[in-house]
Amino acid sequence: MQEPTFLILTALAAGPQHGYGIITDAERTSGGATRLQTGTLYMALDRLRSAGLVEPDREEVADGRLRRYYRLTDEGATVLAAETERRRASAAVAAQRLTARLAGGTA
Amino acid sequence: MNAGRTGQPGPQGGDMPGGSAARDPEQAALERRYQRLLRCYPLSHREIHREEMLGVLLATARPGQRTPGLGQTVNLAACGLAIRARRVLSWLAGPWQDALAVVSLITPVLMLIIAALDFAVAVREAVALHQSLPEAVPFWQPGLVPLLGGPAAVMTGWLAVVLLGLTGRARPAAAVASIPLVLALANLLAEVMQLTGAWSGGLPLFLVTTGAGPVVVASLAACSLAFSAGPRRGLAIAGRRRAWLMIAGLSAGFGFPAVVQLANPSAPLAGPALSLLGVVAIAVAVVVTRVRSTAGWRVAVLVAAGLPLDLASIPFAGALAATVVLLLGNLLFALLVWPVAIASWRGRARRASRAG
Repeated sequence: MQEPTFLILTALAAGPQHGYGIITDAERTSGGATRLQTGTLYMALDRLRSAGLVEPDREEVADGRLRRYYRLTDEGATVLAAETERRRASAAVAAQRLTARLAGGTA
Repeated sequence: MNAGRTGQPGPQGGDMPGGSAARDPEQAALERRYQRLLRCYPLSHREIHREEMLGVLLATARPGQRTPGLGQTVNLAACGLAIRARRVLSWLAGPWQDALAVVSLITPVLMLIIAALDFAVAVREAVALHQSLPEAVPFWQPGLVPLLGGPAAVMTGWLAVVLLGLTGRARPAAAVASIPLVLALANLLAEVMQLTGAWSGGLPLFLVTTGAGPVVVASLAACSLAFSAGPRRGLAIAGRRRAWLMIAGLSAGFGFPAVVQLANPSAPLAGPALSLLGVVAIAVAVVVTRVRSTAGWRVAVLVAAGLPLDLASIPFAGALAATVVLLLGNLLFALLVWPVAIASWRGRARRASRAG
């Protein structure tokens, strides 16, 4: 799973969110490393929607402009959980080896 | 499926800055430029997302920004075009993949039947030639080898294609099928060059005897074997009975001239009525087989599109320009089915990976 996709699904895991909200959340989650472009965001949403991982939630009008909220589907939550587990596992391996490397100096 | 709208706006659902500020001239100019860029997106996408995308674009713009900037322009254009490409791929992926699988079943068998008829005609011609000789000479002459050997080799090739395909080896079948296809393409090109005067020499005998088959059908056979789920899947989709009906109707249409020539060697092959009969035979086959089949009309389009081109060149044999146009049409169609098949195959792979 690519980073933008992971960040979008992670943003929606907190609850339904509109496009601008997803961008700001992704920036915060990634510690400012990833600032999603609008084109990238809507291309990912188009793909995630046709894959059934994300669906439109509701529409609101703010400042005379339509805002659409998106939410994670159950399938999307399953996919995000699997990806999170995969990332956790590989991060655990990395952490373990880094610990061993540090300890290697003394042992 | 989530039941009901459970969600609250996320804790980070901040306000969009700049919504009402769109009234000032700088933002209005920026908005117009964004609107122009959004035309890269397909209409179906724009109708739903134009408003919200504009909102997000303006919300993420810097204060006082007047133009989208190069990076964002490229990003919007690329993403819009990518969504367009995705729509085309997914349109080609489903039913066209089914249609191509059916085509990979029926076209090799069709080519085998046509090749067998051509071989029979060649044998009959050889026998007639032998009988017309005044002296009693043995039938087997070295001169017969190219006349009979060419059609025999083509027939054997298509038999191999059919057998490989039906035993689940679609890719090797495609490789074998590409040999008669290349010969047919070369024969077609040589014919066009000869007709237009680009080349004054005669056609090489091996091309005349091996490349005479309908090039569009040969091309369909090779590309559908290479880029579809293969003949076995085609058989599962079409069903045994419907597959036989398609093959019977199509070979009746395409093989008509050869059958007539076999029955009566002096029959006027150039008669338009004859080609018309062939077209009617194929039309009947198409109408009969498309019933209750979702992929049916696509199979009909793929196979039947090459047919008028192939048969119409007979009545136009006298008119040079028309014949050249028809031959080039044949060539164009034979080449165009490849990108369609490849796009459909890639769309199918993408769809499968997305579902997984």
